Amino acid sequence: MNNEKRLDLKFGIIRGAAAILVSIGVAAVLIFIMSDTPFEALRYMLISPLSSSRQIFGIFERMIPLMFTGLAVCVMFSANQFNLAAEGCVLLGGFMSALCAIYIPMPPVIHVIFSTLIAIIVCGAVMMVPAVLQTKLGANVMVSSLMLNYVIQYTVQYFLVNKFADKSQGATMSLPFLETAMIPKMNYQTSWGFIIGLVMVLLVSIFMYRTRWGYSIRMVGINQKFSGYSGMKVGGIVVLCQVIGGMLSGMGGSVEILGYYDRFKWRLLPGYGWNGVTIAILAKNNPILVPFAAFFLAYLSKGCVNMSIYTDVPSEMLEVIQAVIFLFFAAENFLAKYRQKMVVKQAKSELKHTDAKAAREVAK
Amino acid sequence: MLQQILSSVFSTDFLASVFRITAPILFAALASAVSERAGVANIGLEGIMMISALSGVLFSAWSQSAFVGVLGAALMGALIGLMMGFFYLKLGTDIILAGIAVNMLGGGGTIFFLYLFTGEKGNSASIPSKMLPTVDIPILKNIPVLGALSGQSILTYVAFLCVILVFILFYKTPLGLKIRAVGENRNAADSVGLSVNRVSYIALAISGILAGLGGAYMSMYYSMGFNANMVAGRGFIALAAQAMGRGEPLGTMLSSMLFGAADALRNNMEGTGLPSQLVSTIPYVITIIGLSLYTASTMNKAKRARKNRALREKKGDAV
Repeated sequence: MNNEKRLDLKFGIIRGAAAILVSIGVAAVLIFIMSDTPFEALRYMLISPLSSSRQIFGIFERMIPLMFTGLAVCVMFSANQFNLAAEGCVLLGGFMSALCAIYIPMPPVIHVIFSTLIAIIVCGAVMMVPAVLQTKLGANVMVSSLMLNYVIQYTVQYFLVNKFADKSQGATMSLPFLETAMIPKMNYQTSWGFIIGLVMVLLVSIFMYRTRWGYSIRMVGINQKFSGYSGMKVGGIVVLCQVIGGMLSGMGGSVEILGYYDRFKWRLLPGYGWNGVTIAILAKNNPILVPFAAFFLAYLSKGCVNMSIYTDVPSEMLEVIQAVIFLFFAAENFLAKYRQKMVVKQAKSELKHTDAKAAREVAK
Repeated sequence: MLQQILSSVFSTDFLASVFRITAPILFAALASAVSERAGVANIGLEGIMMISALSGVLFSAWSQSAFVGVLGAALMGALIGLMMGFFYLKLGTDIILAGIAVNMLGGGGTIFFLYLFTGEKGNSASIPSKMLPTVDIPILKNIPVLGALSGQSILTYVAFLCVILVFILFYKTPLGLKIRAVGENRNAADSVGLSVNRVSYIALAISGILAGLGGAYMSMYYSMGFNANMVAGRGFIALAAQAMGRGEPLGTMLSSMLFGAADALRNNMEGTGLPSQLVSTIPYVITIIGLSLYTASTMNKAKRARKNRALREKKGDAV
């Protein structure tokens, strides 16, 4: 690693830490304004999620859907495709696999795999809609994917309420899943889905950095025109990365539903797709960093929930923190002056070094 | 059933509801048009509308004046627009990510602040906020179909007035020329001495004000108070309306009205026994189809133009 790269890395870490500190600072200020017991609230938000193994497994449990959507958004954003339908695909994937889990009896393990496969296939196919509309007709993928989320939400709602609802229950939910379809728990409430997520992180990392397809996706993201001129089939790659994004989010929805719930209960978009965008930004679109970013976000989310249970601060604090992280973390010029100073300092020391060397040579 | 739908569609009430439903989309679509023409894709409209909707309710409750509420909402919208500009232009945050951040603030942040100020989490029913007055137009209200134009909220008229104002802004003022120049080519505008950043800031502020008015309309008239997630994708639909209207004020108005009509149709069909959830997808599906058809047709046009030009050049060579 040469000096320049090391400096970039060092600066990247410093800037990221600063962005996170700023956001937690904003949260702290808000807590002091609104809470009667601010120190208590801060303790619950920042320390309680790490205080016991039960709490830490609680963080792992929250990480499961986040890893999948984080990966999905990473792949799509790597190719510079601002497709935001991961949100809808999580809901749809969860719903499709729930239907398989309720109505199609099968032996254990195979049942989980089958249900998840169905979710993956359906979501991959649905993601073709905005992707193909964009490449063939030029419709803005961001707008059409946002619309798609709402279409999915209302359609799933329709089928859940009118066709598949368990009428004996007070709230709207499906019939219970068959035992064979549920992903067993690893520890406390955390299912083995956590391990599936980590395996997917590895696979997607290998895909993105060790295969031709992954390379093309990243190249299209860096310069679409250049990729086209150098002979890549840009349209196909643009569609491919979005289909992969849809498949990953659908898989996430399925793993979350089968691992955490015993019935399908989602009536609204669950919000994991937007969290996926946050994770992709924290991870700088690098799949291997996704678990760390997901851990951080899950930790904050667990902290905010603990805080809202035990003190008077609502858990929506999480969105405020996320928004601030978003703005600063993605800010290219945040602390640019500091970076300039670092570069100048390094250049000076290098110059001194070469000067001294030259002087020594002359002396010889 | 079809008859029932048809008879309700061809009625004064339906026309009136189209205007009522179009107004917030129109505000947001014009907001999107102003920023888009300055070359800034503002996808934070949804969030700005939510935040302004809350501000409108809070300001009007404090001051006991609807006017102050609207003013507060518009100011808040401008502030958020400027904040996005600051992060985009000064700190180099991708404008789309800045927009998503604003939307997050609009989703969870508004609930947070609602709780902070009122102690409630779902809606603002506990505070005495003011509503916008409606305006009766004396002679018009007695004419059968045109009567739909009377009795609307005052901001509905403002929304349609804004179409003209934005048109004047774009084509009759120096600022509009600058905005369009910056949007067309930032570097070229910079090279002739325009302060590109300042123009972008101004455009984002105007965009914020318009979206803010849309938010105020939502909470101070349309829903009679602030509810969690009340904007329900209108900010995003507005992006589509703007794209279909190609950023032209008049085109944006027409496409906004198309989406307004789709939404009004949904409201009308809810009483007919059709499943309400499926009917709810109509505006979003129409948006996707409309956007695709529109962009496809412009792409075809561009292709044809290119072909024609090539043909003409060939002929020219032959001569």
